[in-house]
Amino acid sequence: MRRTKAQGFDERARATLPSRGELAQHDAAVWDLRRRRDAAAAEVPDWETLRERAAALKAFALDHLDELLVGFEQRARGAGAHVHWASDATALCRIVTELLAARGARRVVKSKSMLTEECGLNPHLAARGIEVVDTDLGERIVQLAEEKPSHLIVPAVHKTRREIGALFHRHMGTPEKEDDPERLTRHARSNLRRYFLAADAGITGANFAVADTGSIVIVTNEGNADLGTSLPPLHIACLGIEKVVPALADLPVFLRLLARSATGQPISAYTSVLTGPRSGGELHIVLVDNGRSELLANPTHRSALACIRCGACLNTCPVYRRAGGHAYGTVIPGPIGSVLGPALGGKLGAELPHASSLCGSCTAVCPVKIDLHGQLLAWRSERHRPTRRERLLTRAAASALRWPALRGAARGLLRPLWPLLGRHHPRNPAEPWLAVRELPPLPPKSFRAQWQARRAAGGASYSGPVSKPAVRPARSERSERRNE
Amino acid sequence: MSERDDILTRVRRGALQRSAHPGPHPTPALPGGWDAFAAMLARVGGEAHGPFAPHALGAALAELVRRRAGGGRCVAEASAAELAGRGPFETARTPASPHGFADVSVAIVRGHAAAADCAAVALLERDAPNRALPFLCQRLVLLLPVAAIHPDLHSAWAALPETATRGHHVTWISGPSKTADIEQTLVYGAHGPLGLDVLGIAG
Repeated sequence: MRRTKAQGFDERARATLPSRGELAQHDAAVWDLRRRRDAAAAEVPDWETLRERAAALKAFALDHLDELLVGFEQRARGAGAHVHWASDATALCRIVTELLAARGARRVVKSKSMLTEECGLNPHLAARGIEVVDTDLGERIVQLAEEKPSHLIVPAVHKTRREIGALFHRHMGTPEKEDDPERLTRHARSNLRRYFLAADAGITGANFAVADTGSIVIVTNEGNADLGTSLPPLHIACLGIEKVVPALADLPVFLRLLARSATGQPISAYTSVLTGPRSGGELHIVLVDNGRSELLANPTHRSALACIRCGACLNTCPVYRRAGGHAYGTVIPGPIGSVLGPALGGKLGAELPHASSLCGSCTAVCPVKIDLHGQLLAWRSERHRPTRRERLLTRAAASALRWPALRGAARGLLRPLWPLLGRHHPRNPAEPWLAVRELPPLPPKSFRAQWQARRAAGGASYSGPVSKPAVRPARSERSERRNE
Repeated sequence: MSERDDILTRVRRGALQRSAHPGPHPTPALPGGWDAFAAMLARVGGEAHGPFAPHALGAALAELVRRRAGGGRCVAEASAAELAGRGPFETARTPASPHGFADVSVAIVRGHAAAADCAAVALLERDAPNRALPFLCQRLVLLLPVAAIHPDLHSAWAALPETATRGHHVTWISGPSKTADIEQTLVYGAHGPLGLDVLGIAG
């Protein structure tokens, strides 16, 4: 594992993607997912109305969450499932541990669940002697590497095939230096089959819970959740309370968006709607709050709960692509992680809203239309406490803007110093981002000087678009000027 | 107060307004039919065969199964065997131990409905009661009446019987199992079947 004790976002980013090559590979891999998403969306004629419908359905679900949760619980129980409620991570871990202990379950296969990552379920169970094997291939890779997932959909996107080959050689006995993805996948398939067949219990998350049928819906490409729920006698599904949707008939809206937004697929390979336990088995559903109800009561940020975990906002984010998921220091990285991070509290919460260029690309691709960059901005103003240096700089900027003479003097002072800032003081404490960027060269003359010179020469006029055509020179006059 | 009531009280506090349900999504006009389905199935890594007239299905299936199984064990769910007649496969008993399917090379299952826009085929519990079978097998063969293909997922979903969720599972399958977790290289057969064939049934 690329372990780091670094505390800051940029230090963690450097530790995650330490070389230019790794950074470029990560950037290209993640951007490729974005391109695939664009191509898939372009094939769907009703893409935008689908997004609007999904946003409206999620808004409805959050507005009626109490009723939908009660309806889901009643129908799931009616179908033979056991429903448990967990206020926080501690409660979830306790409930799952007790369920496993009561049945003497020691071997558990688990499919991808960001919630159980959030609640630290794996280490909790491991400390009690329960073997938990993550079965999603990407999750298995990061589990063997003793790391955390760095992406919602491709958890090991930060790792090279060589690193994965070395891991598999150490843990699965694959030939040394084997790094062919297909052969490595075959080895993992064969290795994990043994765990599936020997498992006492399967733990899954769920993409959706359906209020009008009491069903849970699990979406995968690998089929690992299906094996994990059809072989062991005990299935424990852990899901956040925000996963409830009103009706089974609403699901196609989300399913048409989910995989296309995530990887550009028309739909994931397997979408399983499970209602009650399988014949001869037990199904336990744990509904987890862990801060979600608090977020729901926050009118500015509640819409973040609409997230369907497609990862599209990560793939498009220029900061995520160049920093990697571990830089965020949270279970969910990227823009949605930065929006949810402050809600979960902690020191990281104040830092993450700044891990964004506020370009708005995340908002543009979100399938449920969460105003991600707007929320990041809101979190900044809510959580950020300006440092003394920032306050001084803000005051200086305000003064310069108020008094043109002062602004002119500052400009005159800055102009000769400008090249030194970028090239000779790359770690200038005034602007940490100079460590990774050079300032663009200043033009020989300032904009004001150029403007004045053009006016003096009689050529200064604005020829771009204006909102009031009446103030523009007449067409004949403009064409004359162009001809001059 | 129980943990449940505590959570629900907090959730009620967060119900800031009561918006109306937006209603069903208007179904888009998309191309449907066997050809559209087969083209999309190829894109997601599967292979379409036929469609075959009902009387020719058995022979086509037998030929395909022999080719795919390579001498391995072939198991058909009872509903699929009923459609195809006798062939080079055994009929699954229900309920069977799921672990008993660990050595199956080819599984044959009947699909109930399909969506051409994503090549997803719905399997109902009544047709596929042995839930582990389509995932443990090395290759999966689905039998699909062409009449069950709908242009899009909305209409295919609406075609599921009301009783569908009274059974334990409804599974939508689109292509074989797949992963791209190692340097984004697409590999079929991560955990589930390495390949998926769909035999269309005409008429």
